[in-house]
Amino acid sequence: MAPSTFALIIDFASGGMLLAAVLVVWRRALRSIVTLLACQGLALAAIPIAAGAYLGDTALLLVGVAVLALRAVMLPWLLRRALAAEPPGRRDATPLMNTASSLLMVAMLTLVAFAVTRPLTALQSTTLTDAVPTAFAVILIGLFVMVTRRHAVSQAAGFLLLDNGIAATAFLLTDGVPMIVELGVSLDVLFAVIVIGILTGRLRRLFGAADLDELQELRD
Amino acid sequence: MTELMMASLLAPVAAAGLTAALGWSRLSATVTAISAAVILFCSIALATRVGHGVHLAAGGLLRIDALATFMLIVIAVVALLATVASIGYLHTELADGHTDAAGARLYGTLTPAFVAAMELAVCANNIGLIWVAIEATTVITAFLVGHHRTRNALEATWKYVIVCSVGIAVAFLGTVLLYFAARHNGAAAAEALNLDVLMSHAGALDPAVTRLAGGLLLIGYGTKAGLFPFHTWLADAHSQAPAPVSALMSGVLLSVAMSVLIRLKPIIDAGAGTHFMRNGLLLTGLATVAIAALLLTVTGDLKRMLAYSSMENMGLIAVAAAAGTTLAIAALLLHVVAHGLGKTVLFIAGGQLQTTHQSTAIADITGVLQRSRLIGTSFAVGVIILLGLPPFAMFASELAIARALAEANLGLVLAVAMTLIAIGFVALARNTTRLLLGAAPADAPTICPPRSLAFALVAGLAASLALGVAAGPLTDLMVAAAQQLEGPR
Amino acid sequence: MTVMAVVAGGAQLLTVTVGAPLLIGLMRQVRAAWEGRGGGGILQPWRDLRKQLGKQQIIPRGTTVVFTAAPLIVAATSILLAAIVPIVATGSPLDPVADLFAVVGVLFLGTVALTLAGIDTGTAFGGMGASREITIAALVEPTILLAVFALSIPTGSANLGALMATTLSDPGSVASLTGVLAFVALVLVIIAEAGRLPVDNPATHLELTMVHEAMVLEYAGPRLALMEWASAMRLTVLLALLANLFLPWGIAADAPTLLQVLTGVGAITVKVAVLATALATMEVFMAKLRLFRVPELLAGSFLLGLLAVTSANFFTR
Repeated sequence: MAPSTFALIIDFASGGMLLAAVLVVWRRALRSIVTLLACQGLALAAIPIAAGAYLGDTALLLVGVAVLALRAVMLPWLLRRALAAEPPGRRDATPLMNTASSLLMVAMLTLVAFAVTRPLTALQSTTLTDAVPTAFAVILIGLFVMVTRRHAVSQAAGFLLLDNGIAATAFLLTDGVPMIVELGVSLDVLFAVIVIGILTGRLRRLFGAADLDELQELRD
Repeated sequence: MTELMMASLLAPVAAAGLTAALGWSRLSATVTAISAAVILFCSIALATRVGHGVHLAAGGLLRIDALATFMLIVIAVVALLATVASIGYLHTELADGHTDAAGARLYGTLTPAFVAAMELAVCANNIGLIWVAIEATTVITAFLVGHHRTRNALEATWKYVIVCSVGIAVAFLGTVLLYFAARHNGAAAAEALNLDVLMSHAGALDPAVTRLAGGLLLIGYGTKAGLFPFHTWLADAHSQAPAPVSALMSGVLLSVAMSVLIRLKPIIDAGAGTHFMRNGLLLTGLATVAIAALLLTVTGDLKRMLAYSSMENMGLIAVAAAAGTTLAIAALLLHVVAHGLGKTVLFIAGGQLQTTHQSTAIADITGVLQRSRLIGTSFAVGVIILLGLPPFAMFASELAIARALAEANLGLVLAVAMTLIAIGFVALARNTTRLLLGAAPADAPTICPPRSLAFALVAGLAASLALGVAAGPLTDLMVAAAQQLEGPR
Repeated sequence: MTVMAVVAGGAQLLTVTVGAPLLIGLMRQVRAAWEGRGGGGILQPWRDLRKQLGKQQIIPRGTTVVFTAAPLIVAATSILLAAIVPIVATGSPLDPVADLFAVVGVLFLGTVALTLAGIDTGTAFGGMGASREITIAALVEPTILLAVFALSIPTGSANLGALMATTLSDPGSVASLTGVLAFVALVLVIIAEAGRLPVDNPATHLELTMVHEAMVLEYAGPRLALMEWASAMRLTVLLALLANLFLPWGIAADAPTLLQVLTGVGAITVKVAVLATALATMEVFMAKLRLFRVPELLAGSFLLGLLAVTSANFFTR
């Protein structure tokens, strides 16, 4: 693989992740958000797969395939199951911030991400590490989505955005963490999403809807 | 040594498997309690052998040193008390119809798994593995917190899972950044997450990246320890969980998270300068103590009160960790064990009150001392422990922390912390007197604690007294741990 | 500045002024074909212009010189744009002025003149159209700046001619993330600026849904002809800009020969025709957005423009 092709793939993969995150903020229909998360998982998996092919590292390649299976297939499927009980075409209740302001906020968060990750790119400037600011922006956007959404599945989507961004950062900075840690991390994320799915079902049964504004009892 | 470590890790896993296969019964619960006793035995054996050394096992994945052994002892003691109490607790719940066989089996499987995950978190040498273990505790305790299938329990579970998962994810980002800094410095790929390797490279790590990593790690593990401003899940989760689980979470899980921070602090200090983590810990620690003290004055719920007291103590531990001297860390560790014991006794007694009254509002529960000598006395002694009165160990630990802060030129911090603790002291004492003293109303239900619960209470009290009077055997361990943490070796 | 460059400039101007109504005709014909109608033919807009030029001049009572001058200003800015933007050759006589900021400024001048004319009529619809147009313009102008600026960062110059020359020599620079983001942002702003679906429906007769049409509601006769023609020219220039920024092949160089000038004219005609067909086809399948959703769309395109700038800045080649 030529270096310029590799740079192009990494460019598009990390840009694609950021674009998916932006579209999650833009779109409010829950099913499209889950589809966007699957696309983002695809873009995320492209990074270790491309890096593995470029560096000739088969372990990294296999990790990339595992990431593809987990984040582009399994986790969106789990979320879609959690959504299955909702009436079709249900949109999110109005988020706490309207769409236009949310998009401008996302613009600001992107700039913050680029500023914060300056020391990282200054330390080591390669094709891979230069894309870290984009992954960091995805992390901040994930946090933003979690804070401004009211539906349980939207918060879960924000959590997945956050996690995808962190996984991307790990792959871009260090060609991935050691295998055992990667395994543990993937399992943990899987179980976390399973738990969230089960909790969403229980929420719907006990509260009648998965709207998180209903959770107001515990306070002092 | 490795065999002892593996035995202590595998015993609770085996107990979890047994309960999963056979369902909950007095037998499986007793087996769980025995597994906790096994952990205690192994950890004491390890403590006598470890001395000042560091022993790596499982190819550098596990680490047996003074701090790990100490935390294992704390986990073991609290787990033993909690699992013994669980026998009677669950039996009563099943008898009263508050839970069913499936719920009891889930409880019985998840509790020892939870203990095993905490053990892994304190014994791991690889900070990635530490992360996996801490995240596992969040996932495992999710359904423990939601054991009572009520709306409030569900709300608490949701908040807990979401806030802690986000916090832990941020901690993972910090871990990755630290790994990056170490790799950039030349550490080998498979080893750069190991504590010993990080310690050796610590001085040469890039300051800006280490600062970023340190901040993220503080935020992430601080969330798990209940430090401000990510403490919002704590009172809800600890108050809605079943009492023995609350004891485990309040008594030892928070301390485990703090111990991870204490382990990482020397690395960050060496890379980014000592002021960064010190100021960060001081800020969050003092803020936590302040918030906890203020919330203690307004709360009217028994278990939330205990949860806020845990928050306050974690804040104090954070402040002591900020000071960072040998005396501070040794005092901090004593505080951890004393708090763990006292909080467990309180939660078990409080749990019995909750079972009797089906409510945790302090206004609903009065005149306890008159109605049940055991529960009343246990609760009273527990609160005395928490208030830091002699002869219990928390008196000595708080005094030592105060001295350590003064020696580290943190006199102003000490003054502020003491004022806030005094506020908490008054609030705690006031609520406890309302709870315990006074005449019991005529229609108050009778309190009859099950035998195992009573046994756990008495054992806990005895252990606290023993600790307060003669902490001797543990002192060497604590001092060794503190010295090992003073700086990179 | 050679004679050929002047000829190229003249050819450019001629192509745009003559071809703009033909472009509108083409778009209407494509829509008709999709919708299964016969359509009026490509020359219909020219026939409409001729008809309107022959009509009586009507000026509403109470309007001022703003109303009478606006069509002239809009037409003048459109012709100026047609002369400045490198459409047929990069070395046009006005090349030193072909700066990104100048182009956007001239574009905005036309928008403001039209808006003021709408307010000047004193009618409710005129004011409504004007306020909507300015809301849209407020988000569109920064986005055009950002999107073209993102493309100019690798070049190091904001001169449009230099930009296109760089893209000609290094085609890979637009096949990057920056290029894709800037392209999408520019498409969205061109749709908004030129008042096409889904932002505004140029064929609507329902006043409450109008944006651009509401402002020209009071115009009749030659002034209306001037307005329509100016709008057509703005659309043509914007589409030509989009085509030349991303696919500059065929454009004549600094010192062109006659053959190159003719090739340039042919190339731009083909490119703009293709883009117009694509745009018209897209319009057939889309409904107009509700007005309060338009700022969302434009905020999104602004965000894409900003991301294009940041990715151009931080991704090293």
